[in-house]
Amino acid sequence: MKKIIFIYLTFINLAYGYNYDSLLLKAQASIFPKVMLLDKKIKDKLVDSNIVYTIVYDKSDYDTALFIRDSINKKYKGYFGQYVYKINLVEFSNLSKETQASAIYILNSDKNIKKAANIAKEKGIISFSYDTDNLRQGLLFSLILEKSMVLYLNKDNLYTQKVDFVSSLLQIVKFVDKKNI
Amino acid sequence: MLYKLFNISLFVGSLVYSVALNAQTDDILASLSSEMKHFNKVATITKQNEIYQPYVISVFQGKELEKLGISNLKEALQLVPGIDMATDNVNTQTPIFRGSNPLALGQSKLFVDGTLVNNLFFDAYSEYLSFPIEMIKRIEVVRGPGSKTNGINAYAGSINVITYAEDFDGAAKDKVIFKAGSYNYKMAGFIKRYKTGDFKLFMDFFYQEDDKKLPTGIDGYSQGSMSGFGYNNRGLAKSGDAPLWLKDYSFGLNMKYKDFSIKGRILDHTEGNAYGINLALPEDDGRVKRPSYYLEVGYNKKIDNVNMDIKAGVKYDSFDSKDKLGHDGVNFINMVQFDTDGTKLPITFTHGIHSEHLAKQRTLYQSSYLTYDGVDNHVITTGYRFVREETIDMISKLSSWSTGDAALVDYTKVYPFFNKNAKRDTFVFSLQDEFQLSKELSFIYGFNYEQTSYRDAGIEPRVSMVYQLDAKNIFKSIYSRSHRNPSWQEMYTMNNHSRVGSTDLKPELVDAFELAYIKKYSSDTYLQTNLFYLLNKNQIYNASANPQYRNTVDTDIYGLELEYKGHISSVDKLYFNYSYVAGHSRIKDEGKNESLPNVAHHLAKGYYIYNINSALSLSGVAKYVGPKDRTNGDTRSGVEAYTTLDTSFNYQNLKHNYNLIFSVKNIFDANVKYPSPPKTYIEDYAQERRNFLISLKKEF
Repeated sequence: MKKIIFIYLTFINLAYGYNYDSLLLKAQASIFPKVMLLDKKIKDKLVDSNIVYTIVYDKSDYDTALFIRDSINKKYKGYFGQYVYKINLVEFSNLSKETQASAIYILNSDKNIKKAANIAKEKGIISFSYDTDNLRQGLLFSLILEKSMVLYLNKDNLYTQKVDFVSSLLQIVKFVDKKNI
Repeated sequence: MLYKLFNISLFVGSLVYSVALNAQTDDILASLSSEMKHFNKVATITKQNEIYQPYVISVFQGKELEKLGISNLKEALQLVPGIDMATDNVNTQTPIFRGSNPLALGQSKLFVDGTLVNNLFFDAYSEYLSFPIEMIKRIEVVRGPGSKTNGINAYAGSINVITYAEDFDGAAKDKVIFKAGSYNYKMAGFIKRYKTGDFKLFMDFFYQEDDKKLPTGIDGYSQGSMSGFGYNNRGLAKSGDAPLWLKDYSFGLNMKYKDFSIKGRILDHTEGNAYGINLALPEDDGRVKRPSYYLEVGYNKKIDNVNMDIKAGVKYDSFDSKDKLGHDGVNFINMVQFDTDGTKLPITFTHGIHSEHLAKQRTLYQSSYLTYDGVDNHVITTGYRFVREETIDMISKLSSWSTGDAALVDYTKVYPFFNKNAKRDTFVFSLQDEFQLSKELSFIYGFNYEQTSYRDAGIEPRVSMVYQLDAKNIFKSIYSRSHRNPSWQEMYTMNNHSRVGSTDLKPELVDAFELAYIKKYSSDTYLQTNLFYLLNKNQIYNASANPQYRNTVDTDIYGLELEYKGHISSVDKLYFNYSYVAGHSRIKDEGKNESLPNVAHHLAKGYYIYNINSALSLSGVAKYVGPKDRTNGDTRSGVEAYTTLDTSFNYQNLKHNYNLIFSVKNIFDANVKYPSPPKTYIEDYAQERRNFLISLKKEF
């Protein structure tokens, strides 16, 4: 038993991957692109006339990022509505203001969520979060499974000049702010 | 003029653009709404929103259980709050829910992909407990009477095993599995699916065997089995290893074409005769077969607000035993003669008593349910289920009662062990309304009405409420009444002086009151607390002093369950539960009061998975089962508590899509024993000591 505990402790500092719910990943891969298309200013965010959907991940979550990319490709087959899209996989360490993105989807990270939220804000792009708790750090949307799927919108970050969602979307989201996330 | 025309064209252009844009936006919104509905449906079917469901339910995912080194359904069920395991002399193992009558079978129901698979003879499902975990996508365990809409009464709980036939997005993979472990255990299996257009085919297959033998103390002859009428055969008692070997294969098939479906399974389960039908330690080559075959056709169609779900099926199961029932040199009387005219003729079975017993049952069923969601905030479901259960073959052979020769004599007609004309019809009508009063508050209420060709259960109501105070606090309250119809064994056993069947038996009744509070800490972390109070009436009982089965026990049970799911760090998973149960039973015609004999008042289980990286994980499973008291008059000391600890190492190769798992179970070699009734095997029924398992799974 001592050996087992020793092995546990030895491995604890190695790189690791987070626990993700595959149904929630699939739901987010399917729903977030549609939310993005409901931004009336989506045209301002195109990169070379394309939508660039950037998935930001910790190194250990590369497989999860690939899973999301594959789920999106399987669902959308190259087009978000009328727009051709491109999916970028970017590690947190490589994310900067220069990273091409029309929207970013943020996987979990212990340290980098705030940085990603700030970059999204500076670039004026939509940010999606796997985990609702990360809305506290300034990300904009998350989707969570309660009794049914609930789309959360961080109202603290909504009223910027660069996003303008159709009013019908705002009727179906659940608004949250830092206090009640 | 030109300027005006330019303005008009600009106006018309922007109007057209605006209309087109609005139409596009409407399409996106409609599509988004439809996606949300789809994922809501998947989440509800797969119980991923389990904490909001109007039941006390625990859900375990097959892949996570594999990571823990769990090998089969039985091991998985031992993780469920409030569930302990019991067995009997022919190794009919059964999960005991919340301490409800550990010596009775049929208190819980097992469904495989929605089909009820309890066998008719015992109303048990021990043949499915060795079902390999790699064949199981998900296990949903409802504690308490559960749902009312499927026309099947779960008395103490129900277990829904979902195989990989369930596939919502066509993403599931084919796979092959190989396992090996202690007791010379070997297993091979595969899952294969095929899809073209609207046609879907799913198949699973496995074969497994072991040569498990576990030490047992001195057998039941020492306690007076086959002693009586002035004969004492106690001196013939033996000690040794109980043959608990297993040989199993199963082939499952699910086909779907548009709204039609067919599902079926052949499970051929053979095992050693364990502790012997008559409590004589069996020989290695004795065996019990418990085959289970079913075939079900279904039609499911939604037209506007009405969903139709029509099913019809047939199920065959048997109790088929071939064994040596009595040791060499048994002196007794000719029981056939005695039961015919009361004459006591002495007989000696020089080469022991051999036997062949077969009872083959057929169940035919048909059900039709309609669900209507056309009224705001209501989903109304109604329908019926008709079931015909009957014995279609029975063989009763024994060594000669008249000469004592070992060779089998056919007593099927003159001295059967079972009523070959056993038959029961059951009709159940159900009505239920799911009412969403507000975003926070929902109710489910309804009833089942059941008639049988024997005693009726009548109307049984169910009311449940789920109140979501906010995103982090959920409350549930449930009242339900349910029943268990007597099993074939309790109704139709004949010519047996330790078990006498009766067709006058009434259904056992339970009134269940449950309260639950769920505190959510984050999207994947919660603590659930359940309180329950169960009033059981007319429980079926027999004892050596009066072997006739009769409705004579009332039992009140109350308790508490805590269930935590979450993590310590962001890379691990922690699951823990604790359950406490207490209560008392009254055996009315014996004037006895007991305080839940053979029940562990405290159970604690948990597991921890640490993901070292995306390829490697380590896990541990711990289980504590508290001490158990004996029944009144049983002078043995109580059954001791035990704690087991298992650990597993899981390697996943994502590039080549295979998994390798190595597990050591019961690391500290705890002495795990399930209680035996008095005057049987005095040292109880010993279970596996330290053992190991290796499994290899490859996905395609």
